[in-house]
Amino acid sequence: MLVKLKVNGELRQADVPPETTLLKMLREDLGLTGAKLGCDVGDCGTCTVIVDGDSLNSCLMLAAKANGREITTIEGLATSADLHPLQKSFEELGALQCGFCGPGMLMSAKNLLDKNPEPSVHEIKDALSGNLCRCTGYTKIIEAIQDAGRELSGAAAGN
Amino acid sequence: MRPFDYVAPASAQEAVALLAEHGDHAKVLAGGTDLIVDLKHHAGNVSLLVDVTEIPEFLGIEETDEGLRIGSAAKYGEIMEHALCREYTPEIVAASHTVGAVQTRNLGTIGGNLVTCVPSADSAPSLLVLDADVTVAGTDGNRRMPLTDFFVGPRKTSLAPHELLVDIRIPKANLGKPSHFLKFGLRKGQALALVNAAAALWLDDKGAITEPRIALGAVAPKPVRCPKAEAVIAGKQPSDELLKEAAEMAVTECKPIDDFRASANYRRQLVRTMTYRCLKRSVEIASQR
Repeated sequence: MLVKLKVNGELRQADVPPETTLLKMLREDLGLTGAKLGCDVGDCGTCTVIVDGDSLNSCLMLAAKANGREITTIEGLATSADLHPLQKSFEELGALQCGFCGPGMLMSAKNLLDKNPEPSVHEIKDALSGNLCRCTGYTKIIEAIQDAGRELSGAAAGN
Repeated sequence: MRPFDYVAPASAQEAVALLAEHGDHAKVLAGGTDLIVDLKHHAGNVSLLVDVTEIPEFLGIEETDEGLRIGSAAKYGEIMEHALCREYTPEIVAASHTVGAVQTRNLGTIGGNLVTCVPSADSAPSLLVLDADVTVAGTDGNRRMPLTDFFVGPRKTSLAPHELLVDIRIPKANLGKPSHFLKFGLRKGQALALVNAAAALWLDDKGAITEPRIALGAVAPKPVRCPKAEAVIAGKQPSDELLKEAAEMAVTECKPIDDFRASANYRRQLVRTMTYRCLKRSVEIASQR
């Protein structure tokens, strides 16, 4: 079936079998391999993308259900000129080790900051409860999200 | 996943007709957080997915003359942010917050949770204590039934194979009813409940408890009300001793099992403590009115 999406601002389409998940379509048909295939059952969160403003597990969503909707993936964060403030903070504060959880962590973090620019530590932990990291122990990830939140809300305030 | 066809009908009658035609080979798709996992693990003989999330009457949350109507395809994320739910049914919002994680709550629907009908369904107790009923669509049109009658046993509802859950309704008289929900799992995130508990009650002008409701999840073959525990407190002045007596009675009304998550005995102790705390908090809320 023909599935048409807007991915990172660009109209894309692919003819996929109905049993294709959004994750599979992004990775195999659209060449966007940033979102990762981890547990494949919605527990680990490394496949997280944002669909019409809400983060979700792309491994659990059929591509057919994403037809006509707007998707943001990790590839949509950086511009050719610059990294996204979240990516900079993750890099500067050493929030990633092996990096496999990174695309999902960053998309969950973006989804949080889009809705709540200055989250508390508790709110960050709550927002990341669907993203597993087996390396960092989460501390630096939480610090990086707070750092990016300050950066983004400072920029919004014109500082 | 093995190949299947996908359709997203625009009406309940169309969806019901497809289910009646395809029988066991068709499955109803809502958020997919259970079904897609099942299809990946043991595909069975599924040849058609009927997506019900584009049927207008399954969508949305609204206030009607009768009370609050929550479409079965309303997602947990939507319920948590909805002004009507936050105002009228804050404990349904609290229960929604305990489901899965952000990403699964942005996919999973309240109707899907009820139809899947696991004993630990997080949405069930907070709905049961508000006397929710449900609308079911079948070949002869729609029928309504109390949510208590909807649950039959583990993964079994009273829906006929071709029937669909349309919406959930909270009666007007129960909007804003003082209530409390508690979930106990082994982690704070993405945990299945060892026990879920909810209570709701009013205090009359003399301070006596009226219309008490107590419901438990994960401690019986289906989510259950506790009528004997409710009877202990109905019409009485609330006191710590009375609420503890009701919690003790609730322990006798559940039938927990031993499994790898917890022993039946541990679950009974949780039921005692959580029922008491839910009642105590409900009384506190009621007495602040």
